[in-house]
Amino acid sequence: MTAAAPAPTPAPETVAASAGPADDASNRLLEIADLTVGFPTRDGTVHGVDRLTLNVGSHERLGVVGESGSGKSVMGLAILGMVLPPGRFMGGSVRWKGQNMLDPAVAERVRGREVAMIFQDPMVSLNPLKTVGAQLRELLRRRAGLRGRAVRARCIELLDMVGIANPAERLRAYAFELSGGMRQRVMIATALACNPELLIADEPTTGLDVTIQDQVLTLLHDLSTELGVSVLMITHDLGVVAQFCDRVQVMYAGRIVERAPIADVFAEPQHPYSLGLLRSVPRVDRDDEELEGIPGEPLDRARLPSGCAFEPRCPESGDRCGQAPPDLAKITDRRWVACFNRSAPPS
Amino acid sequence: MLRWLIRRVIAAALVVFVVTSLVFVLTHVFTDPAAVSLPLEASEELREARREQLGLKRPLIEQYGEFAFGLVTGDLGESFWQQRPASEIVRERLPATLKLVGGSVVVTVILAVPLGMLAAWRERKFPDHAVLGFSMAFISAPPFWIGYLLIIVFAVQLDWVPTFGSRGWTSIILPSVAVGLASAGRLAQMIRRAIVEELRQPYAVTAQSRGFSRSYTITHHVFRNVASNFVTFTGWEMTRMFTGYTVVIEVVFSWPGVGLMAFNAIEQKDLILLQAGVVVLAGLVVFTNLAIDVLRRTIDPRVELR
Ligand SMILES: Nc1ncnc2c1ncn2[C@@H]1O[C@H](COP(=O)(O)OP(=O)(O)OP(=O)(O)O)[C@@H](O)[C@H]1O
Ligand SMILES: [Mg+2]
Repeated sequence: MTAAAPAPTPAPETVAASAGPADDASNRLLEIADLTVGFPTRDGTVHGVDRLTLNVGSHERLGVVGESGSGKSVMGLAILGMVLPPGRFMGGSVRWKGQNMLDPAVAERVRGREVAMIFQDPMVSLNPLKTVGAQLRELLRRRAGLRGRAVRARCIELLDMVGIANPAERLRAYAFELSGGMRQRVMIATALACNPELLIADEPTTGLDVTIQDQVLTLLHDLSTELGVSVLMITHDLGVVAQFCDRVQVMYAGRIVERAPIADVFAEPQHPYSLGLLRSVPRVDRDDEELEGIPGEPLDRARLPSGCAFEPRCPESGDRCGQAPPDLAKITDRRWVACFNRSAPPS
Repeated sequence: MLRWLIRRVIAAALVVFVVTSLVFVLTHVFTDPAAVSLPLEASEELREARREQLGLKRPLIEQYGEFAFGLVTGDLGESFWQQRPASEIVRERLPATLKLVGGSVVVTVILAVPLGMLAAWRERKFPDHAVLGFSMAFISAPPFWIGYLLIIVFAVQLDWVPTFGSRGWTSIILPSVAVGLASAGRLAQMIRRAIVEELRQPYAVTAQSRGFSRSYTITHHVFRNVASNFVTFTGWEMTRMFTGYTVVIEVVFSWPGVGLMAFNAIEQKDLILLQAGVVVLAGLVVFTNLAIDVLRRTIDPRVELR
């Protein structure tokens, strides 16, 4: 884990930096501006996220959707100032309440305490050789500063909070003794141990049974309301977003292509990629329609087109699209889209 | 666990049986112990007499039966060089070898664990490169040469420790370092790689995402998970010591162990004593492997019971 710290450019108030319901700048927790994370490969540098801009406000549930490889996990880790080798930060800024998260000292203080992340794979995200109790106690002692009796009481409280029956008994269990859903609940408990203000949930329900998926999502939803925690929900599933979020950002090839309140995207997706995503989701209310995939090949991240990254697969691509990538632009007061064909407000 | 252990012990005993049988075949079928033990120009009558004396005239299967029975009862035959039971000689020599291997393992672990952790902690930074450099130097320098260097510097010039033999506790330091350096170099690199790979595991990423530092994650999360690899590597190095390094280093330092005994047995053309030495060293290797398995199983419940 390296956190190279490029010069922290204070996010200028560009068009792209203010958007959505979290526009109210005083209310902002997290501000990412022009963030680029590169991974050196044989075919040159792949940008896991590419000049990414995103804000999260307090008490907000924001969804980030995108297909596999679009950079969602890279973004989640980058918010914590982390990048997996061989990747590195190549530009832009990540600010948590105004502090530079690309500074390792700041990031190490904030991680786990103010921003916590739960990961894609609950089966392997807990330490296999430590009991649930040991992992919670370690966090509470070393990160939350609890001592003595308070530690055990808080452990039980946390497990209780995430809906685990017999908490006192479960504290002695190892991860391999728990089911997938149970492990994800424990993960959520460890994430909430220090009362964070933002929870990054990276596909928290992949690999779980459908009924368990639902339970975990409901749990996260209730907890975020109850505890007033903002949630950044990362998923490739628009259904999850619909059920969970207030606002959504659609991600493609490391960039945000559309951002809007959730109802607007479902009613009237603007970016051609969002439209494609929506068409590929089965819907109960319109079972007459055939399910459609998005045409074309999923993107080869090492060979990006020089223009809009979606251009090769886009049914509406025009002359300008192949030349330069479009910027995210405001098309109504609630909606931002990165598409040349949408830059003018629809009449 | 108990059934697994019993199975492992039986398997180990089988390995010892096969290895010792192989040794027997090598000494009795492909060579002639009687002829080897006599000067080249010895007459055929003399050889016949020696064969008679050593019981080599009997059917091979009978000799093998005697050999195998002897093994079980701890009788390794009669050394013709020293004119006394080989098992007695081996028993005198064994403690020195065990001490030397013990000392070497201590040197190996003391050097390799901190170096490996340091390299992994500062991956691809200066300390990592420095550790790699030292490891390579340790690995590629022949142990006998390191041994001579150590003797010249610390025993002859500085006169801190004895030049040879096993007098006083300080005498074990130089031979242990000579044996242990190469192992330490290899082990440090193995530890580094195991830790670096383990740090990419989701649980280690999770630990760091909770705000634990890289060093804390290594010492408190990752190291226990690579401990079973660590035990395996250390065990392999130990078996390497039994089968190779100790012989060389015991000769260089005149360390009175089984290795030096085997070397002398070759010089004296005493095939029976050599055979006894090989059998004992092979037994130690098999026993070490058994100990590794048991230890791994105890520290890491995920290790499969096979
Ligand atoms: N460790 C790595 N080494 C090389 N490239 C990487 C690495 N991690 C990410 N990338 C690059 O960054 C891109 C985004 O990866 P990321 O894991 O963020 O995708 P994702 O949106 O989370 O996908 P998924 O839905 O499959 O989890 C990948 O397409 C890949 O090219
Ligand atoms: Mg991912």
